[in-house]
Amino acid sequence: MTAGRPAVVWGLVAGHAAATGRRVSVADVCAVAAGCAQVSGAWVTVSGGREPDFVMCVTDPVGEQLAELQLTLGEGPCHDVLASAAPVLAADLGDQASGRRWPGFAAPAGRLGAGAVFAFPLSIGAIRAGVMGLYRDSPGPLPGPRFGDGLILADAATMLLLDGFQHDGNGAAAADGGRPAAGQSPDLALHRAEIDQATGMLTEQLGVGVAEAFARLRAYAYAHDRRLAEVARDIVARRLWLHDDPGRDSGP
Amino acid sequence: MDAELLSDTFVDLADTMVADFDVIDFLHMLTDRSVRLLSVSAAGVVLADPRGELRVAAASSEAAGLIELFQIQNDQGPCLDCFRTGQPVTAADLAGPDQQRWPRFAAAAIRAGFGTVQALPMRLRDQVIGALNLFSAGTGLLGPADLRVGQGLADAATIGLLQERNVRRAETLAEQLQAALNSRVVIEQAKGKLAERAGLDMDQAFTLLREQARSTNQRLTDVARTFIDSATADFPPPPRG
Repeated sequence: MTAGRPAVVWGLVAGHAAATGRRVSVADVCAVAAGCAQVSGAWVTVSGGREPDFVMCVTDPVGEQLAELQLTLGEGPCHDVLASAAPVLAADLGDQASGRRWPGFAAPAGRLGAGAVFAFPLSIGAIRAGVMGLYRDSPGPLPGPRFGDGLILADAATMLLLDGFQHDGNGAAAADGGRPAAGQSPDLALHRAEIDQATGMLTEQLGVGVAEAFARLRAYAYAHDRRLAEVARDIVARRLWLHDDPGRDSGP
Repeated sequence: MDAELLSDTFVDLADTMVADFDVIDFLHMLTDRSVRLLSVSAAGVVLADPRGELRVAAASSEAAGLIELFQIQNDQGPCLDCFRTGQPVTAADLAGPDQQRWPRFAAAAIRAGFGTVQALPMRLRDQVIGALNLFSAGTGLLGPADLRVGQGLADAATIGLLQERNVRRAETLAEQLQAALNSRVVIEQAKGKLAERAGLDMDQAFTLLREQARSTNQRLTDVARTFIDSATADFPPPPRG
């Protein structure tokens, strides 16, 4: 187990963005996923619900065709991810299990040049933002550390999609050591019960869905230059209340 | 130790694994039973996140969850040492000799009202996948018999995770750990929503969600997901059909 792996992976994403001179985007996550996960290509499809809506970015033509094939057929590992909200790892599209599970997808995907497809949900609990797909031209399992990197990259893509690229401050990401927003180290900004609890509380306070509640929580932390976990703690402790008109937020 | 409670616990644990199994619900039951059986103040389970960190999966109370989180954040404490070595780790007196070993953790544990911590590894063959941690208000350690039961409960937690892996047909342990940790996020989000709607604290909200799952024969994660996904959901949701 490597300490601080999320920070390393986020740093790679920010570094890729800096090299292209653009703000950090899902395209950077895809590019890093294709390299860092030792696969042939990557794509991200965006979805608000249980059906994929559109292809947001791809790293190469084969990836694009694999993404679109699944959208067209309504079948494939990425499609299954939306139903289960768990990763789906198809290590060998040519084997019998894959042929049975995806009768319309497995063979054409193989002809396109995919030996293995690994699909990760872009989700945080009940929040669903889409799917990240990876493919390799040869079959074989995704090694454990690469699976962990896939999860971290899926977290990064999820955060970027939920932000909707609204934070102009992301331009400072590279200089800031790969932080997506001021004062929030991405590796610590996720996966704490208080953040999840506060998100749930905000669905009620703001009368919005869980994805928007999380976006509002992050936006508040960003706007007030505070750590996400601190803001969440104040909300859970009922020291801070957000209002659907941000001017009427009340708290410390 | 209460022998009847002990046998009841293992019967209940086995029952839980038969149908409609929910791993987070199971781990919560395990922490609750650990507290009652071993006469400790609180218990918590941490799991190895495939992202390369430890995460709290279940705790008998919010306070126990927070002190677990404190160890993870500060990269210090018996639970982390237990996870790294795969061996039981004991802090018999955090106000005394153990202060030097884990100074930041000892201070936080004392503030939270805990004087003793015992961490038991969750092992699968040569892999450590997490730890069961037992917190007590006073000083003094569990006796050898109690410790054996504690390790039995930690092993049951490991079996529970593997059981869910079979149910879900996940291919790797890493996938299963990820699924379990994501279930916990869904449950925490639903706790927040229910706490806000009904004016409850988080422990009360969890109890309500769990009672709803029990009384309707649904998995806790499914109850939580339905509630958090629905814009208008009353709780408990009206019966279907």
